[in-house]
Amino acid sequence: MLELRAVRHRYAGRVVLDLEQFTLPRTGSVAVVGHNGAGKSTLLRLLALLEAPTEGRISFDGTAVPRRAPASLRRRVTLVEQRPILFRGTVRENLEYGLRLRDVGRAAVNGIIGDLVDRLGLAPLLDRRRHELSDGEVQRVAVARALALRTDVLLLDEPASSADRAAAGALYRALALERAARPLAVCIASHQLEDAYRWADDIRSLAEGRLSPVTPENLFRVDLPPGDGVKHVPVGSIAIVVMTDRSGPAVLAVPPTDIFVSRERVPSSARNVLTGRVTGLAIEHRGAGVHVRADMGGVELIAAVTADAARDLALTPGASVVFSFKASAVQVF
Amino acid sequence: MDFLAEGLRRAWTLLLAGDSEVYGIALLTLKVAVVATAISCTAGLPLGYFLATRVFWGRRAALTVVNTALAFPTVVVGLLLYGLLSRRGPLGGLGWLYTWQAIVIGDVLLALPIAAALSAAAVQGVDPRIRRTAETLGAGPWRAAWTVAREARFALAAVITAAFGQVVAEIGAAMIVGGNIRGQTRTLTTAVALYTAQGDFGLALALGLVLVLLALVVNIALQVLQGRGNA
Repeated sequence: MLELRAVRHRYAGRVVLDLEQFTLPRTGSVAVVGHNGAGKSTLLRLLALLEAPTEGRISFDGTAVPRRAPASLRRRVTLVEQRPILFRGTVRENLEYGLRLRDVGRAAVNGIIGDLVDRLGLAPLLDRRRHELSDGEVQRVAVARALALRTDVLLLDEPASSADRAAAGALYRALALERAARPLAVCIASHQLEDAYRWADDIRSLAEGRLSPVTPENLFRVDLPPGDGVKHVPVGSIAIVVMTDRSGPAVLAVPPTDIFVSRERVPSSARNVLTGRVTGLAIEHRGAGVHVRADMGGVELIAAVTADAARDLALTPGASVVFSFKASAVQVF
Repeated sequence: MDFLAEGLRRAWTLLLAGDSEVYGIALLTLKVAVVATAISCTAGLPLGYFLATRVFWGRRAALTVVNTALAFPTVVVGLLLYGLLSRRGPLGGLGWLYTWQAIVIGDVLLALPIAAALSAAAVQGVDPRIRRTAETLGAGPWRAAWTVAREARFALAAVITAAFGQVVAEIGAAMIVGGNIRGQTRTLTTAVALYTAQGDFGLALALGLVLVLLALVVNIALQVLQGRGNA
């Protein structure tokens, strides 16, 4: 449906996004994960047709989008920003805003809003104004305001960042209902990997404006010391042993499937052996895998194991755990 | 003290008697001020929005020019306009020198920078997410501008008040290009200056009071409008 090809986007001369290809399928749900400043928000602004890329092209349903996208195309996409803002007026007036722009009749507007209010539990908020809402409520209203437009593409930048766990769950359920009801392409930028894994069909990782070839967990922005070969790179309070010739700013990635999980230290060739405590377990939504999240003295790492292994090792939150991985398993980009 | 009290007494008498000269001058002043404010705000507010929201080459220079124009001496504007409108000037053919239209042009030249500079500041005070959000919801440039203006309505109302204040109190340009012709181009400010010089302090004071009342009424009207828009 939406496709970016050979896109390079610059702000003040600096390349902030460099993508050979990025496709958002018609009914796909894609999560884009990465650090702050990795280019997620820029990517969403390009997909929302609010900006034209400095180089490259965007196509919509196979047709190239002109540099100044016509309103007819822009109105098929909408974006909810990371820290959304409401216009002055009531929540109801905010929900009506985009519908009025589209000349939707009064009866239809009422029907759409009534439906959304039920689904997202907004009834108590309808007559409130922005200063009477919490951050989480503003976010919920902003998502509802976008859903009201029934666009073909919905882009959400950290939609659950201000919401508590229950509110985030409600939000994702509402999205799932919407997707079940009609064809809708959704792209979410998130740093909450658990949500991304539970929710999206496809997870793509951005680092330094580029799509990263590895799964998006365990990404660390580091400053590599000069020299060749094996390096001890400080990451928070721990050090990760890496084999690389590179130096200077870089991103380290430890693929979760390359982490060997045990309850005690075992002799091995792994140069990285970290001891910590399990902080959480998440069932990976497509299979029988389990993501084990552990705190390694202030640095969080995620390892992927099978459900059977997690059971055999009796991995439960709070349990002590040892993560081992080879220096050569750490990817640098 | 007696002199002041006598002046005030005469002023009240003239006002209460509905003196035709006083009210004629007041009406002309109101007409000139309303037309000049309307023109300068119609052009200045969009210009301010443009300067505040668009990134283009020379933007900083344009803002500097507008801000400098804020402090432009009114007599100099009058002088330049006189040069343009006088019979030998490039716009002499219009025959507008010593007409109320000439005063309007002078006032517009003075109020336009106020409208542009202050509205640019007002728009810059609005959270930039408002415009971006309007765009994400499908608004085109005009609708997005209207949405931003709604957010900045208090500041923009103050801009209109400031422009009106400049226009209604202006004397330098009005004197030079209007000529202070009785019944045609005599405004409150030029009349006050004239009658004071002629020693008719009571009449000057009466006109001065009308000027203050006019400013007061317009400000109250704008405040009432703001109050209604406060929902």
